[in-house]
Amino acid sequence: MQELNKHVNDVNSLLARYGVRFGIYKNNTFKEQLFPFDTIARVIKNEEFAYLDKGLSQRVTALNLFLADIYGEKNILKDKVIPEDFVYSSSGYTPECEGIQPPKSVYSHISGIDLVQGKDQNWYVLEDNLRIPSGASYPMIARSLCRKASPSTFKSNHIYDNRNYAEMLKTTMDYVNTGGINVILTPGRFNAAYFEHSYLAEQTNSILATGNDLVVEGDYLYYVEYGGTKEKVGAVYRRISDEYLDPMTFCEESLIGVPHIFDVYRKGNVALINAPGNGVADDKGIYYFVPKIIKYYLGEEAILHNAPTYLPFYEDDMKYVMENLSKLVIKDVAEAGGYGVVFGDSLTQEELEDFRQAIIAEPRRFIAQEVVDFLDLDVLDENGAVVQRKADLRAFVLSSDKARVWKSGLTRFSRNPDSAIVNSSQGGGFKDTWVLSL
Amino acid sequence: MGIISLEKADNLYWLGRYSERVYTTSHRYFTSFDIMLDQNEEYYMRYCEALNIPDIYVDSKDFVQRYAFDTENTDSIISNLYRAYDNALVVRDYISSESLAYIQMAIYEMKKAKANIDAPLIAMQRSVDNILACWGCIDDVVYDVVIRNIIKYGRRQERLDLLLRLRGSRTDLKRIFSELEFYLYRSNLKFNRCAFLELALILEQDIIDYPKALDCLEKIVVL
Repeated sequence: MQELNKHVNDVNSLLARYGVRFGIYKNNTFKEQLFPFDTIARVIKNEEFAYLDKGLSQRVTALNLFLADIYGEKNILKDKVIPEDFVYSSSGYTPECEGIQPPKSVYSHISGIDLVQGKDQNWYVLEDNLRIPSGASYPMIARSLCRKASPSTFKSNHIYDNRNYAEMLKTTMDYVNTGGINVILTPGRFNAAYFEHSYLAEQTNSILATGNDLVVEGDYLYYVEYGGTKEKVGAVYRRISDEYLDPMTFCEESLIGVPHIFDVYRKGNVALINAPGNGVADDKGIYYFVPKIIKYYLGEEAILHNAPTYLPFYEDDMKYVMENLSKLVIKDVAEAGGYGVVFGDSLTQEELEDFRQAIIAEPRRFIAQEVVDFLDLDVLDENGAVVQRKADLRAFVLSSDKARVWKSGLTRFSRNPDSAIVNSSQGGGFKDTWVLSL
Repeated sequence: MGIISLEKADNLYWLGRYSERVYTTSHRYFTSFDIMLDQNEEYYMRYCEALNIPDIYVDSKDFVQRYAFDTENTDSIISNLYRAYDNALVVRDYISSESLAYIQMAIYEMKKAKANIDAPLIAMQRSVDNILACWGCIDDVVYDVVIRNIIKYGRRQERLDLLLRLRGSRTDLKRIFSELEFYLYRSNLKFNRCAFLELALILEQDIIDYPKALDCLEKIVVL
């Protein structure tokens, strides 16, 4: 890897050349930033990945079954495995999805599961992202550039090629396509992940569309060509959140969605990837129940562990959280992107007290977790010296006839030595993830 | 690919127009720069007048900097380059990442040129080279001829527009018009036949009515 590290600046220059950026809004201004890349890859041994593969497939399979059940029979609620209130009070629960079965019964086609490896070498799932997880394009393009920068590195190491992500995505789209073209629906170029939208459209040979390009007519969705002819759409990989997807069903002020697209979906005439309503399964509160969900639907023990989590919603957990607040991580279930995450040990006595009151007032709004002591990863600093930083791994699981784990992933790291927050929106960088084939 | 929405057709057309504007005005800027060195320091005033852009410049030095590199100046070359980029970015899936990268590199070279106050033309030349490379790349990698033709139509329209403003020779105007006609029919763009025919007639007249020709040109394509 040392040979590759000599080219860290070259690879970052190439990433800039190809417009590998993400956008952020700060003080009401949109800014595009380069996503700093570190050439020291996270390396996962073959047998270790086999374990992750099994655990991730199991988890996503169960979560898909959970979604089908919640918007269908609701057996898991009838059997009181999860308290009913917990599901219905989740902001991700979408009553409009009741009774709808998506094409081929796949709900979470693309799942981004965030993991960390503890210093004890165990992997812990931190979060499930089943709505519109982003990030796969970054290691994919970085790999192709690293191979140019240091071919010998890839000749002398046995690493699974991760450039097949686009092919896996296309297969996933084709599997649920109801007849017509594949479209990637973007909110537009000022979205944080616009690079990814346009790059994946190019790589999967799909049409990159905005809401203005699509129209519903007679129970079908069409892409309107500039000459006026219409092309039927069979699958929409939408990168727009549920609330803005269809102004006739959800947020009526939305200007980026497609009026009546949800009606077409309800009639089974188009696949929406991922399915609307998935938020109920990746809710930070539901996360607590995932091991029970796996047991309930698959009759198996969860292979991958959650970080030890407490729900103040339960009396015992509330008591523990109140007594140990200063050593726990508190997460606001409504927040994402690393926001709404507070480490108890960083709070003053006064702030701790304010948090206590907030948790007592709204116990459903928060979860608390033990601080997992992450395994630090080597990172090259600005001067080329190797330093250690906190990092996580977003693994991607693509579901069609079965769940398939992409043999790579997005490794994000904190560039701040005193922080465990790795999100790109908060200044983090990224690494490639090498899965060894031998 | 072969499926292009109205919005994307508009982006392809404007990618052609803005990239051509950058290319042609850069060359004109090089010429003006040279004239202002030792012949006529106030040449830039004539240039602004010919292109019908506001003369907001204090002197030739100010023109050299701000007309080329001032991102706040909507008429500057770099502003037009950013507009080309804006349109290219949203059609990455049509023109390929490779082609888009050349526009990105043209921007980087313009930034380098700006930093080189004494001799900006060398890095600017590299910026222009990248525009040419982008066009070449599109020709090479874009399989769909209609996509290429929309961009090329946009380029011909912009080139003819600039040539009319700069009172180009009849020979040059007719040559560009003939190319414009070629791509117009092959781009499948909706167009105003009356405006097109009127422009053809104007270019045949003994004395060319340039303002009227410009007016007709702007009315040809309906997007």
